[in-house]
Amino acid sequence: MSSESRPVGEDELHAYVDNQLDAWRRVEVERYLAAHPAVAQRVNADLQQRALLREAFMRDDDEPLAARLNLASLIEQRMVQRRFPWRAAAAVLLAVSLGAAAGAAGGMWFAGRPIGPFMTLAADTAASYAVYSADKRRPVELWAAQREDLNRWVSNRLNRPVAAPDLAAFDYQFLGGRLVPTARGPGALFMYENHQGGRLVLLVRRMALSRTTQIEQVDIGGMPGCAWSEGEMGYGMVGEEPYGRLLEVSGKVRSQLRG
Amino acid sequence: MPNTITAIEACIPALRRYARALLRHAQDADDLVQETLLRALEGLRTRHQDGEVRPWLFAIMHNQFISHRRKAKVRRDDAERDPAGLAVIGLDAHAVRGRQEDGLHWQDFVRAFDSIPEDQQAVLLLVSVEDLSYAEVSQVLAIPIGTVMSRLARGRERLRGLTAADAGTSLLRRVK
Repeated sequence: MSSESRPVGEDELHAYVDNQLDAWRRVEVERYLAAHPAVAQRVNADLQQRALLREAFMRDDDEPLAARLNLASLIEQRMVQRRFPWRAAAAVLLAVSLGAAAGAAGGMWFAGRPIGPFMTLAADTAASYAVYSADKRRPVELWAAQREDLNRWVSNRLNRPVAAPDLAAFDYQFLGGRLVPTARGPGALFMYENHQGGRLVLLVRRMALSRTTQIEQVDIGGMPGCAWSEGEMGYGMVGEEPYGRLLEVSGKVRSQLRG
Repeated sequence: MPNTITAIEACIPALRRYARALLRHAQDADDLVQETLLRALEGLRTRHQDGEVRPWLFAIMHNQFISHRRKAKVRRDDAERDPAGLAVIGLDAHAVRGRQEDGLHWQDFVRAFDSIPEDQQAVLLLVSVEDLSYAEVSQVLAIPIGTVMSRLARGRERLRGLTAADAGTSLLRRVK
């Protein structure tokens, strides 16, 4: 009988359900339960609850993590930001104006920022811009001379025709592009450069939901950027330009792509 | 520091799981995880080196979740304007239901779970799904351990009541 054991408390019954008792006490609790069927029934119900909770919330565990949750690339972005202090300064300024205490973290997310319609697209564009536009020697994989190859390549991977727009009218020469990973599968990254060496990128990728929107101002890695959706495709654009200018360029891009 | 990075990386799937359980929205959950990771990276240098990484990360996430909750109304308004924000994953009411088996289904169970108070849900998730110790849960939620135990007890009691009724109805349905 269990008469010689310490009495079993309510908290210990929970600890028993949650596997948080040492082996010795566990045996004593089991002996107690054997002698108290009503309590044992309750504990059994709790064990079943625990199993159902685990079944319900662990069933998505196998799903691959989104690209933007990759720790290595989050760290890389932070490093890029440190190499470009003016960008970090801009991020801090914006954070302060939003009233966020430590909002400069990574620059692409600010505490309490409302979740906007193009948040994921903006994050994808910010990641590509941070990593590739900062690369002086090899910002693109296929250069402007291989434009046709590039268009064919990204069109095949996005499973629909995608062509790099022409931005020469805005003093931006086409530099080239590459395929990039995004939260929605493959994305096409096109890069442009002006006479001052300033770079501008356009990211094209699929959206979760097919719809056509206006061009909207979004925060891309602490910089003003443009994003819009045309049917099932999404477009994100960022560069060292004021928003008004970007909006003008985006309008041109949109009409060219609609062509 | 490299060890801490490895430890953080190992926690990402669990953080996503907890975020999804709290928010039931894949994109919002990823936002929450990403924000947690950025804050963790930011706070690496000031962190106590000897502390456990898991409860530290969950505490960061919990604080973010609470601060978003305060702005929940703003977000709901946004979501109403933007149908893209409503793409709910996995555990929603329209999820394809598995074939009816004996006993209680996890879908029915989740419905019961959703009806208990949120602070009890958090404790149950951290304890039952994330396997945090009671002391760690008290650290994550910044509440005394006695409060952890009473929320756990009340949460389980309510679920017992709700699921007993549910099991009864599904039994009736089967007999009929």
